[in-house]
Amino acid sequence: MCDYSGRLIAWMDGELAENEAPVVEQHVQSCEPCREQVAAYEEVSRDFAAYCDAALEAATATKVSRKLPSWVPVAVGAAAAAGLLLLALLPPTVKQVEPVPQAGIATPPAVEVPRARPLKPAARRHVAAQRKAPDENWAMAGPAIQIAIPADAMFPPGAVPEGVTYIANLSLKSDGSVQGLRLQP
Amino acid sequence: MSGDSFPLDLSLPRFATDSCEATTLFLELRKPLLRYLAGLGLSGDEAQDVVQDAFLSLHQHLAAGGSRANIRSWLFRVAHNRARNCQQSYARRMGKPLDPVFDSMSRDATPEQAVLAQERFHRLDRAIRSLECQERECLMLRAEGLRYREIGEVLRIPTSTVADMVDRAIKKLAEKCNV
Repeated sequence: MCDYSGRLIAWMDGELAENEAPVVEQHVQSCEPCREQVAAYEEVSRDFAAYCDAALEAATATKVSRKLPSWVPVAVGAAAAAGLLLLALLPPTVKQVEPVPQAGIATPPAVEVPRARPLKPAARRHVAAQRKAPDENWAMAGPAIQIAIPADAMFPPGAVPEGVTYIANLSLKSDGSVQGLRLQP
Repeated sequence: MSGDSFPLDLSLPRFATDSCEATTLFLELRKPLLRYLAGLGLSGDEAQDVVQDAFLSLHQHLAAGGSRANIRSWLFRVAHNRARNCQQSYARRMGKPLDPVFDSMSRDATPEQAVLAQERFHRLDRAIRSLECQERECLMLRAEGLRYREIGEVLRIPTSTVADMVDRAIKKLAEKCNV
């Protein structure tokens, strides 16, 4: 091993004393092994600098990937494509049923169904009262259905005083006939 | 009246000078500082925070009339000390190999060249991680262009020790990487 090998890196870095640097330089020019060593040290130094660049790049890349993993765009894209495909393949949930023409029977003209009118304030108030104090003794066969029936359609004229409203609780049999009726003022 | 006048010390020119100097240093040293901190194992966010803290300290240092001598090593020392508080990051980083965005480094290479370059990089990575902590720090600061004297100021070790460490570390890397 050459005597100068311990000073080659310091010489490369310009860290030798002013009187020492020219001596080493002159030696390197004339010594083949030292020239090769200097070339190797320079290569390692370059690689190390590239390593530092890569470390910074990796730190920045980690920051980006933490915000948005690389699989996220793929997964989102696949999910969106699957959703669109599903929408395209599935039949619409509401089908428009065409009337089937029967022989000898003319298709009736479309009848405009009148819009449901809002209940009277009094009726709403009763509904509210019913919710507040339900009759627990009354066995309801199924979910309650509210039907507004004019009093004169059920009772003879004059039987029901003016301004009084009743709530009729009906229970129905499976065949649709009335099983029970209870009136609540 | 003119004989009684006193020199008026306006701090504005000095402030402007300090700000200009700090801005110049920021533009010059921000990336080297970030690279050094990333090499120490800090995450991108941590490195950004440390660099901002270091420049804030620099501004306060200059505003308080601190010494302008060796300001580069002063900045690296502040950043180094701040980074030392992130020991967990350092251990995490040095506990596993650096798997860089290698594709970007070998984008234009053929597949064979890319494989060879990757192997070489991993060999270098293992060699670097086998270095002593202070040897590695010396090389990182040297890679950022600091003189041995400045490295000694950052790490608070004698210049002759820096020279020995750099010499030893480069030779170890050359030997382990078969250069």
